[in-house]
Amino acid sequence: MAGFLSLLFIPQEKNNHRALLLRPSFLGIFIALYLLNQSIIQSLTVLKPGILGYSSEITAQKVLNQTNSERQKLGLPVLEYNDTLSQSAAAKANDMFSNNYWSHNSPAGKTPWDFFKSAGYKYSIAGENLAKDFYDTDGLIKAWMNSPTHRDNIINDKYQEIGIAVINGVLSGVKTTLVVQHFATPLNTQVAVKKQTTAPSPDVVTAPEPLISTQSLGTSAVTPSLISPLLISKIIGTIIFTLILGVLIIDSYITLKNNTPRLTGSSASHIGFLLIILMLLIFGRQGTIF
Amino acid sequence: MVIFKEIKKHPLNYLILGVILIIAAFVFFYFRQNFDAHDQRRVVYVTSGIYLIWSLYHHYRRGDLQFSIILEYFLLALFAVIIALTTLSP
Repeated sequence: MAGFLSLLFIPQEKNNHRALLLRPSFLGIFIALYLLNQSIIQSLTVLKPGILGYSSEITAQKVLNQTNSERQKLGLPVLEYNDTLSQSAAAKANDMFSNNYWSHNSPAGKTPWDFFKSAGYKYSIAGENLAKDFYDTDGLIKAWMNSPTHRDNIINDKYQEIGIAVINGVLSGVKTTLVVQHFATPLNTQVAVKKQTTAPSPDVVTAPEPLISTQSLGTSAVTPSLISPLLISKIIGTIIFTLILGVLIIDSYITLKNNTPRLTGSSASHIGFLLIILMLLIFGRQGTIF
Repeated sequence: MVIFKEIKKHPLNYLILGVILIIAAFVFFYFRQNFDAHDQRRVVYVTSGIYLIWSLYHHYRRGDLQFSIILEYFLLALFAVIIALTTLSP
């Protein structure tokens, strides 16, 4: 056993002066193992939807506060929370979950404006921001503010009101949190919209009705602890890359020290490449805006 | 460090690779700052592709361009692409 392990990790005459783990056949095995793990994750998302997902700390209240905070930084008036707009945003999020899409327009051809109208909000100007898979509100708002089109919505001085939906559900087999912001200015002051005079509580954003009974749709933005498929993939990828990197360092140290001539790839370049990929793997950010 | 012996044999090749990897890291962090998962993924794809091309150039210059060597680079680049595809949110 010890002999075999030594062949796996240490370059020596018996393994033709190349650690077995660095041979193309073993690299192929690593890829196969990783892909096997991915297929298990994918199977779980299909067979047991909702087991895997993201846990989010985002709340409607935090999104509202930080949106208004960004406006205040620029000297713009704060957006007034509007319950009808929140119903419109929640209807949009529920529609995305029930029809399994991620876009401003639904596969059935519904535009964001259809949701405003269905909720009974008559607007003179309106806009929509979407986000999914974010862990915290800070990251979410930063992402929107870094995107010119989303930023334009947040700091548009023509908007007077906002509705926010933070809804959990299963999208493409993965449990996630969708955040929908609906911005608008009412057509006139006589429009019969229900305005909230006080700031909403963190959990006031409710879906008009749950569209899929198995989804935990609704108000709470704080989900129970979930196993994130991305986190599993990251951990396994990091372990395999670190293992290859470690063996490469040992291998190159021994062979260069002994001046062993051999016909293999450059260990120095492999180490550089793997270090960069490992860094990208560790620091890659999740969360998508639309 | 023993590993620098190898780099000293072909300093220009390794300098080119170093610059490519550093640029890749900067571009990646730029997209990371913008929470752009799609472009973060693209950086890994492009870096892996360039790494493969660099390996062809490097081993051609060294005079040891062999199928087994290119297969080694190809598998590492492929693994990086697969990991980017599966870990940077879809």
